[in-house]
This record gives sequence, structure tokens and C-alpha cells, in this order.
Amino acid sequence: MRRHDPNNNNGGAPGHSRRDFLRGSGLAAASAVLTGGATAAVEEAGAVQEVGPKVVSSAVEITLKVNGQEHKATVEPRTTLLDTLRNRLDVTGPKRVCDRASCGACTTIVDGAPVYSCTTLAITCQGKTIETLESFDVGEKGVPHAFHQNDALMCGYCTPGFVTACKAMLDKNPNPTLEEVRKGLDGNICRCGTYIGVLQAALNAAKAMKGA
Amino acid sequence: MNAFDFAAPTSVEDAVKLLDGQNTAALAGGTDLLGRIKDQVTSPQRVVYLKDIKASSGISGDAGSGLTIGAGTLLAAIVEHKAIREAYPALWQSTTEVGTPQIRNMATLGGNLLQRPRCWYFRAGNGLLAMKDGKSLVRGGDNRYHAIFMTDGDALYVNPSSLAVPLIALGATATIKGPKGERTVPVEDLYQVPRTDKDSELSVASGELLTKVMIPPARGKNASYEVRQKQAHDWPFVLASVNLTMDGDKVSASRIVIYGVAPVPWRSNAAEKSITGKPVTMETAAVAGEDATEGAMPLSMNAYKVSLTKTAVKRALLAAVGNRYWEV
Repeated sequence: MRRHDPNNNNGGAPGHSRRDFLRGSGLAAASAVLTGGATAAVEEAGAVQEVGPKVVSSAVEITLKVNGQEHKATVEPRTTLLDTLRNRLDVTGPKRVCDRASCGACTTIVDGAPVYSCTTLAITCQGKTIETLESFDVGEKGVPHAFHQNDALMCGYCTPGFVTACKAMLDKNPNPTLEEVRKGLDGNICRCGTYIGVLQAALNAAKAMKGA
Repeated sequence: MNAFDFAAPTSVEDAVKLLDGQNTAALAGGTDLLGRIKDQVTSPQRVVYLKDIKASSGISGDAGSGLTIGAGTLLAAIVEHKAIREAYPALWQSTTEVGTPQIRNMATLGGNLLQRPRCWYFRAGNGLLAMKDGKSLVRGGDNRYHAIFMTDGDALYVNPSSLAVPLIALGATATIKGPKGERTVPVEDLYQVPRTDKDSELSVASGELLTKVMIPPARGKNASYEVRQKQAHDWPFVLASVNLTMDGDKVSASRIVIYGVAPVPWRSNAAEKSITGKPVTMETAAVAGEDATEGAMPLSMNAYKVSLTKTAVKRALLAAVGNRYWEV
């Protein structure tokens, strides 16, 4: 599941990364909860979808369909989709910046619509199609390439969110005007102020996606 | 974020049962609630997720017979609805300007109506009235975004729902279901002015659920005009919605409601009286805007809202009759 960079297949250095450590300790904590009599809660979590008003009171195992693959993760009801993606599933494209549905860096596509994953509970995303930029086309017809070509980033922390919002917008409206691009990317903020490049990247990506 | 119990009912009846009890919170889009939980302004023991209740989302009816919008309907669905765009531009315009595309893909109509105030003293945990040692933090502090009407009272925040304003102008009603049954009230009755910090600004009790909003048939002309600092992300400074019944080219009846000026959506009787019986022209609209500010008592930092109110009312009236002179 390690897919930070789809172009980098040299494997990297062996051993443990900081992220592996954090993830491992998270799972250890979760299994401690499970042995503490939470088996019932797991069964209840399964029932949430089918039977009706069961109350989930502690960590439960859920299944999320991310970028076409099903993953199991143990989460508390309060765990956000963003934290689940990043800390449990190692899908680190969406970034945690404001954590308050304001900046757009965490933008993730759920059932075709871009949403703020920092303000979406993971437990509410079971059965939904979750797409992050890890699944995007990184070739010349893709949105990431257009960002690269148009210098649409400086520090890069907002970029995954912008790329995701841009992809979602173009999927819905393949021929946007500049005004529609502005509106479509309203939900993302770049503190470096690279908006000119971002808007141009979106327009160029629209052309490239059509094969022009 | 503090931990909470979680349930995802699929029927309104189950949701009402689960919400009945101390310290529960209803979760729909979460764009307001989850932020409040993270900031520990709200710490519910149980969160009841409403988006699995299929019956409470969706739009039915048409402009001729009136519309019913489920409380769980996404704002994005309202923006995409043709009849709302054509017959209820006051509501459509305001909905297109709520938050961001992501917010509108998450947030619901019910959540927008029942979001809590954005007053920064409230959000910092000082309560709705923001009193400290018997003194108002708002009055003596940074009140640039606060009320200009009803400021002789203690509630100085402004009502945060920019959709309540067009809905009230359109004469919409809201249906609420609770343990004691169902009631339907005008949208303005969802709000009340708290007298103490223990009171809520919402008349919907914590065990109750807003299920749908009904808008009467579209007759006459309606429009909204917003003045905002940022084109997206933020709430407007001031927003005016008007709904005019016309008799020839004269206004025979009107409803004019203003956002951002009072702790409740502010129905401007003065502006309504001013425009009724007259045609909407640059002159009569300007006078109605002027009259809308009658009785305004701005705080130390928000006198600018008096000017914005004049302009918003004037432009909303002119927009209703198709005169968008400022776009030229």
C-alpha cells in the first residue's frame, strides 16, 4: 500500500519509516480496545448499515473503497476520513492543513463529488467510492502534468487539494470557461498565491483530457 | 475531538428516538457541527447521523404548486434544480454563494438553517451572550461582524443562515418532528432571541428533527443581493432578499428580509411599507433601502453595515424587476 510516488519504484531504503511506526502503534492501540470487550461493537458496526439504529460506542472495523481497492481499518466514530486515509491506509495525498473545512488541502472525491475529508467521518463513508489523487493519470493528459507544466505551485502543500478539486470539476464540466474554473476551485486556498498558474493549469488540463 | 457514540438510523422515527436524551447532536453535512466538536464548543455524547435517511432528502413539486425540500437535501442539489433557479432566484442565488463547492456537496438545507452563530466570542467558548463579569465582550470588543438591530438587548451575534433569509421572504414553512409529534411553523419561528446563556437561539429542541421545508407557489418577483468581503468561503456581510407581489407595475405586497444585521433574520417592516404601492425604480428602491435602516443602532465597529443594508435592499429590489445596473 505504499504509493507515495507512483514513478518511484526503486523501493527505497529498507527498515522502518516514521509513518510505519505510527501506523503500527495505532493498530496496537486499536487491538487493545478490541480485546477490551469491543467485539460487540464490531458486530454493531456491521449492523449500522442493515438493521437500523444501533449505537456504536468504541473503535470498530470498517471497510472503505479507496481508489478501486477495498481496505479495512479500525476507527473510532470520531475519526475523520482524512485521518483514516493518511494514518491508517497510508494514502497521504490529501493533506491535513486547517482541519476545519476551510482550506481545501484535504479535498477527496466521494461518490463523484469533491468534499473536505477533514470534516467527514470515516464511519459514514462505508459503501461509498472514495478517490484520491493517487489514482489520477500522471501522464501528459492528466491534471497533475498540467499543474507541473504551468508552474501552478510553490510550496506545494495546497497542490493535492487543488489537483483533486480540478479533476472533480473537469469530470463534471469538461469545457469550463475561466469563470467556471474560478467558481469550481473556490473551495481551495493557496497561501503562496499561485492562482494564475492554477487557473491556467485547469484550462490546459481540460484541453489535454480531450486529447487536443 | 472528544469521543462520542454514533448511530446512523435510516428512518426519521428512529432518529427522533436516538436524539431523545441528554447531550445528543444531529449530524448531516457536518460542516458546522464537526468544527464545533473539534473546538470543544459542543461536546455531544451521542451523534446521530442523518444522511442515511433517504426520506428526508430530495426536492418535489414545482413553481405552480409550491416546492417541498427535504431537510437532508444537499445545497448542491438546490443549485442544480431548474425550477428553483427559474422561479425562486432569491433562494437559488443565496445557495450558490454558500461556502465553497466542497461545502455545498456536503452541507444540507436543514444544517444550513440550524447552524450555530459564527460570533467569535461564542466560538471561543464564551456562550451566545458572551458576557464576562457582567460585561458584554462583544460591546467592548471586536464587533465588526455583529448586529446593528436589536442591539439594546444582550444577544449581539448575527443569525448565520443565509438561506433562512430568502426562505422567509418566500413565506416558507418548516416541519419539525419530535417525541411529541409533528409541527409545521413559518421558517422565522425556528429562531428566537436568548435571554440567558442557558437559552438556545433555536426553537428546535435538541430531541427534535427538522424534516422538510415547504415553499408556497411562486407568484410575483423575488431576488437576493449579497454584499461580501470574499467571493467564496465566507458568510456574507449583509444579504437582502425580497419577494414582491405585483399589481401591474406597482408592488401590492412585499416581504423584505435582511441577513447579517440582527440575532434573527431581520424582517424589515419599514422597507416593506416604503415600497408597497409604488413601482420599483432607482428612486423608490433607494428610498426603501434608506428606510430599511430605520432604528439601526450599530455597535462601536460596524456602522458600515448601515450603508451595506441600504445598498443590499436597493439592489435586491431592483434585481427582482430585472434591473442589475451594477453589472454594467
